[in-house]
Amino acid sequence: MDVWNNLLQGFITAGTPINLLWALVGCTIGTAVGVLPGIGPATAVAMLLPITLKVEATASMIFFAGIYYGAMYGGSTTSILLNTPGEAGSMVTALEGNKMAKHGRAGAALATAAIGSFVAGTIATLGVTFLAPLIATHAVKLGPPEYFLLMVLAFCTVSAVLGQSTLRGLTALGIGLAMGLVGIDQITAQARYTGGVPELMDGLEVVLVAVGLFAVAEALYAVLYQGKVQETQNTMSRVQMTRAEWRRSWPAWLRATAIGFPFGCIPAGGSEIPTFISYATEKKISKHPDEFGTVGAIEGVAGPEAANNAAITATLIPLLTLGIPTSNTTAILLGAFQNYGIQPGPQLFDTNGALVWALIASLYIGNVMLLILNLPMIGLWVKLLKIPKPPLYAGILIFATVGVYGMRQSAFDLVLLYAIGLLGVVMRRYSFPTAPVVVGMILGPLAEAQMRNALSIGEGKWSVFIERPMSLSLLLVVLAVLVLPRVMAVMQRRRG
Amino acid sequence: MATQVVRQSAVAGGVLVLGLLLATGAITIPSAAGYAGVGPNFLPWVVAVGLVLCGGFLLWEARSGGFRQMDDLDGAKQGHWPGFVWVSAGILANAALITTIGFIFSCALCFVLAVRGFTSAEGRLDLSLRAWVTDTLIGMAIAAPVFWMFTQALAINLPGLTSTGWL
Repeated sequence: MDVWNNLLQGFITAGTPINLLWALVGCTIGTAVGVLPGIGPATAVAMLLPITLKVEATASMIFFAGIYYGAMYGGSTTSILLNTPGEAGSMVTALEGNKMAKHGRAGAALATAAIGSFVAGTIATLGVTFLAPLIATHAVKLGPPEYFLLMVLAFCTVSAVLGQSTLRGLTALGIGLAMGLVGIDQITAQARYTGGVPELMDGLEVVLVAVGLFAVAEALYAVLYQGKVQETQNTMSRVQMTRAEWRRSWPAWLRATAIGFPFGCIPAGGSEIPTFISYATEKKISKHPDEFGTVGAIEGVAGPEAANNAAITATLIPLLTLGIPTSNTTAILLGAFQNYGIQPGPQLFDTNGALVWALIASLYIGNVMLLILNLPMIGLWVKLLKIPKPPLYAGILIFATVGVYGMRQSAFDLVLLYAIGLLGVVMRRYSFPTAPVVVGMILGPLAEAQMRNALSIGEGKWSVFIERPMSLSLLLVVLAVLVLPRVMAVMQRRRG
Repeated sequence: MATQVVRQSAVAGGVLVLGLLLATGAITIPSAAGYAGVGPNFLPWVVAVGLVLCGGFLLWEARSGGFRQMDDLDGAKQGHWPGFVWVSAGILANAALITTIGFIFSCALCFVLAVRGFTSAEGRLDLSLRAWVTDTLIGMAIAAPVFWMFTQALAINLPGLTSTGWL
């Protein structure tokens, strides 16, 4: 079969010593940033984007994928052992994980999280292996109107559906789109919002915005508002599970994978929703409901953690086959592809087949590496949690400088970085989501080009979006996504 | 809380102003529509109008009971401004000096100033010479390997005090 051949080729590429090394370094850095509070996978990938200037595409994509993945494994360690969850996706893990750790079962929680991540990650990678090429062959038939609407769908879900307030989500999206406008228009080469500053001609760098919004804003926010927050750490125990715990974890992992994977495939952004659904499911069908929220139920860790990994892995499908990022980190990965002049989309499997298959193969390899990094070597990572806050955040600022300065060699960018950091602090303080900014900035110019191409096809008539059956159905989906949650909320209010 | 209304109004006002600025800029962009009927000034107008609308709604929310669906305030009620000034000074000093004193020293300086900020936020600011020296050394111990990794291993340009790529 074709897929097997391609995958084999991928393993051969990914299996060269140098690429294995990149994967290992990526997984290690990923686990570290997952464990460390104040820095997540999006920031880490953004800071390291300058390597795209020198390192060959396959190696750096393997490296970035390792970071993306590793951070999910590492995040669970923090959320189980500390009382402050790191990534949004591991917030749910913290609910039961913390309870288990408080009752001396930290080891079992860490084990089910790591093994569950491995199981879900591997199954989801199988899903990517077989589904992605299939979707790509169908996606070739999509034209500019369909792409434009898919991107609009991504905008809507990221800004209007996720997060608490649609208004603040849309505001954040608007800010992101505005940032994406800066620079040269793709179609007419018209300069927009550059103010004559040559540095702005190429547009704002993704690194700059992401690092400013996450790393610098995080540091400024921490110094302003979180100086007095005392973190307490739970005690470790041996990382192993009893037979009974295995029996309770298995089904939870599999159910969670089934929940997480589809959510990652659709442009519904992030892994918050599937982790919550998985948690709710496990709580509902558990034979030990008394353990939830009291001594900690192992299913409550196994499920969300597996759902998280399955969803994260599946987000690679829309990224690779459609070129549509649905989370912060995939948006930055798209930026990385663009740095190489590669535009992910249905043709990617033909034009850059070797790269894609090596990337997919590296996911299998990375999962195994991460299992080893996170089970026998867990003690190492736990030590990272002991780093005091001042040098940790100050160190993050050094890495932020490398990332931003390394990309364009401009001190002007460092001032801009600070300004975006301030913006990030205000947004965080007033509960504006940040994902729409990054997604809007990266996807905005692409969506604009697709829209204008679509209108050219339709000879300037907007009806082009409703005349094609595919684009009409997508339009209806967009409307449903926007309207249904509100209708449901109203109905619930009437009933309750 | 009266201050809350003022602050949220300021945030809303900021969004509104950003929208208006975008609109002012959009006027100067030629429309050059071509086939499509929409040119390079179309999206700028959409975003500008969108942001003005968002800003308007936010302002209305702020004035009528505050932003809706807010989380509980994340962290302390009052900001710790001295710490903020230290960290800001670190980042901006870094931006100002990186090309003259080189990456390693400039980042070490940023590190030292930022550490001052964070320790002061924790209420244990230490301004003794010993602490300054230790933090400088730690900062250099972090910055130097990063610098070497980029300049030596990856051959990416970072500014140095000398052009050797080692300092």
